Amino acid sequence: MSISDINKKLKKLSGGAVSATIEGDVLRLTGKLDSWNEVLRVCGSVADDRSRRHIVNDIECPEAPSSMRLPALCDSALEGLHPDVLVIGGGISGCSIARELTRWDASVLLVEKESDVALQASGRNDGEVHCGVDLAKKGLLKQKYVTAGNRRMDEVCRELEVPYRRYGQLVGFKGAWQRPLATLYAWYMRRVCGISDTRIIGRDELLKHEPGMNPEFSFALYNPSSACVCPYGLTIAYAENAIMNGASISLDTAVTGIETCDGRIVSVKTNRGTVYPRVVVNAAGVFAEDIARMAGDRFYSLHYRRGTNSILDKKRGCLVNGVAGIKGFKNKVKHTKGGGVLHTAHGNLLIGPDAVETTEREDFSTRQESIDSVFEKQRVTVPGISERDIITYFTGVRACTFEEDFVIEKGRKVKNLVHCAGIQSPGLTTAPAAALDVSRMAIEELGEYRDVKKNGAFNPLRKGIPTVRELPKEQREALIAQNPDYGVIVCRCEEISKGEILDALRSPLCVPTVDGIKKRVRPGMGRCQGGFCLPLVTRIIADFLGVPVSEVKKGSDGTFISFGPVKGEKR
Amino acid sequence: MKRCDVLVIGGGPAGLAAAISAKNSGADVLLIEREGALGGILKQCIHDGFGLVRFKEKLSGPEYAARFTDEFYSLAIDALTLTFVTDIERTDTGFNVFAVSRSGIEQIEAKTIVLATGCRERTAKQVGIHGTRPAGVFTAGTAQYFVNILGELPTRRCVILGSGDIGLIMARRLTLEGASVEGVYEIKPEPSGLRRNIYQCLDDFDIPLHLSHTVTRVFGAERLTGVEVAAVDENMRPVAGTERRIDCDALILSVGLIPENELAELVGAKIERGNCPSCGDDQMTTVPGVFSCGNCLRVFDLVDHVTESGEAAGKNAATYALKELE
Repeated sequence: MSISDINKKLKKLSGGAVSATIEGDVLRLTGKLDSWNEVLRVCGSVADDRSRRHIVNDIECPEAPSSMRLPALCDSALEGLHPDVLVIGGGISGCSIARELTRWDASVLLVEKESDVALQASGRNDGEVHCGVDLAKKGLLKQKYVTAGNRRMDEVCRELEVPYRRYGQLVGFKGAWQRPLATLYAWYMRRVCGISDTRIIGRDELLKHEPGMNPEFSFALYNPSSACVCPYGLTIAYAENAIMNGASISLDTAVTGIETCDGRIVSVKTNRGTVYPRVVVNAAGVFAEDIARMAGDRFYSLHYRRGTNSILDKKRGCLVNGVAGIKGFKNKVKHTKGGGVLHTAHGNLLIGPDAVETTEREDFSTRQESIDSVFEKQRVTVPGISERDIITYFTGVRACTFEEDFVIEKGRKVKNLVHCAGIQSPGLTTAPAAALDVSRMAIEELGEYRDVKKNGAFNPLRKGIPTVRELPKEQREALIAQNPDYGVIVCRCEEISKGEILDALRSPLCVPTVDGIKKRVRPGMGRCQGGFCLPLVTRIIADFLGVPVSEVKKGSDGTFISFGPVKGEKR
Repeated sequence: MKRCDVLVIGGGPAGLAAAISAKNSGADVLLIEREGALGGILKQCIHDGFGLVRFKEKLSGPEYAARFTDEFYSLAIDALTLTFVTDIERTDTGFNVFAVSRSGIEQIEAKTIVLATGCRERTAKQVGIHGTRPAGVFTAGTAQYFVNILGELPTRRCVILGSGDIGLIMARRLTLEGASVEGVYEIKPEPSGLRRNIYQCLDDFDIPLHLSHTVTRVFGAERLTGVEVAAVDENMRPVAGTERRIDCDALILSVGLIPENELAELVGAKIERGNCPSCGDDQMTTVPGVFSCGNCLRVFDLVDHVTESGEAAGKNAATYALKELE
């Protein structure tokens, strides 16, 4: 579309309230609109797959995205540091990039504003390792990285000892009349989009593979390469391996300003002091546009999609072995296959997610409507699922560009900046591949300053904490003999021992909070949701830290659990 | 390897009674308890009212438990504490049970098993509580553990959802500790706890009980800062326009108990709706030789009846084991 056509379209859509200018491959929209929904509609309307222009939203709107929640902490722990590379954001992107950067002889500092890594989108998704079939569109970065990332996932999970399970994805179709169309689609996926494992299977094979799926499906699109990984587990593992190889991770650290000079970042201000990095990687998730703006290098804009997933009791894990979904050629939703039913890497069943636009970038609250709508849809996929088996649910917010593709490239106006932005689904799948490219870009840039050698001491292997309950009896016995704490079960639902909890407290990225421990070794993840083990875990953390129970937090600084001793109790 | 006629899993009131009655019936008994001390949930129930039926006395939970632990120890019954059953295999002569503890994995050959695994509390997510996920959402039993076992105050001002007995008891307990309980909200039109607890725990402390009300939303990014309550219609659906926000720092839930029957399932027993094992009059599950008692059999209101059910299961298990022996 030419700029005059675009402006004609915008005029029609917005009644003249919005107009556009083009600068290279960036389409900048300016004007004034009353609601965020209108902004979405207008910006979305000029997104164009063919031109692949970035869309920058400079439309004034009273409904602006929420501002960043800042950590309460304020000190000067990082003041004056000169890291070679500063990675902003401790999600799957930032942590995987930090790890890949440690392959080089470069000092790496990662800052994350939350009290742990993987607390936003990376810890709030379904853990699907996509085959790419739902988002294959030639030329998209998403698609380039999804197949590469999927292929690398085996190796990465083996190196980092992350729970991972490949059982394939089945997307069911009801009407047999759709089969010729689907066959064509599968051929297109294989031949044109490079998703070579795509095939169509009939009802019998479908039910043999996934007996829990709806017997009314007449055929299914089958991709054996789809898998499930523990999303926060992978992020934490990447972070730990980065630390093992020399990177530093500073939690509770938010970037509040960036100073540039002659098209280079000179310093980055945080709540823990100003740092002076040679190169900066922007992996700030829903705040990536804010970082780009701070650096004066904003050539894309983000919008935000909330999604809610439900987790079912492990007893229902048997309903689906891999990933199950449903599709028809009617009512095609553009940017998502519309959720599904997954067997998680830990053996639960996960249902979801939905996709709802929002301006609240850090509002992770849940709503019953989300769960109801997802169940209504997925009951068709797997009739055996029931809301009665829900043990928990959670909401995440995806960061999306209007062109619905990733931004993975060096800065346009700022040289020593690399963007890894707009990383929505399938960002978990793509991370292992994208991190290689992003780290290469950063090291190339660092190479402008000095010769960067390989890090000869790089060790790709990260030892995970043993999952004691899954060990063969002899090994379990031997472990308990070594350390009797492995024989003390603290979390009865997930069968987690005190030894595992202490291991988590002694891990390379120690996050001594109830949630930090829960993410690492799973006490409280089971059907009683911590009813029995919350006080026990709290106590173990307090003893480990040598602090009163009232100083133990659920997560971030303000999330204390106890107000202190009851009346008359003296310490 | 240990051997026994009757293996009791769980050392709360049901398990203690089962072990004692099996022993008194002449069986060789072993009891396994996952916690460090016997007594089960009674350990944290420091209020009185236990034993009215059985002993015609008003005992506290620990006092009631002590009556049975004393007898248990005087009969020199074997117990493994801080020991957790991980697996049960069926054999020709009974069961191979595996349990982990600080000393490793114990294998026990048991002719019969009495399951006395109690129950767990229904959680916030199981009753569809929505909103943010702050610190300060506790089930009543968890709050009770904080106050009575750890000596920690989990709230200064709370709302209690559900009028189950533990919720009512905690309303009083927290008030006595200086916390303020804004009110107890019950979705049903009638309270679910015992009448006497309504009088003694709420009325005596001027804590309002709001029937046909529920909590519709939780607020607070870090610690809980408030909840939204609303009246419900006859279908227990919130009535639009009746929502009210209450500032508080905790939401305490007493919304039901679920029998813990994961071991029963593991051994292959048939589980019915409500998560209770399908049992005959002799309290034997559908797996011959596996008996069930106490709150994992079904949720009882009074501990006295839990004891009774434990005694029956213990006796029946002993009879079964000894008959097999002949």
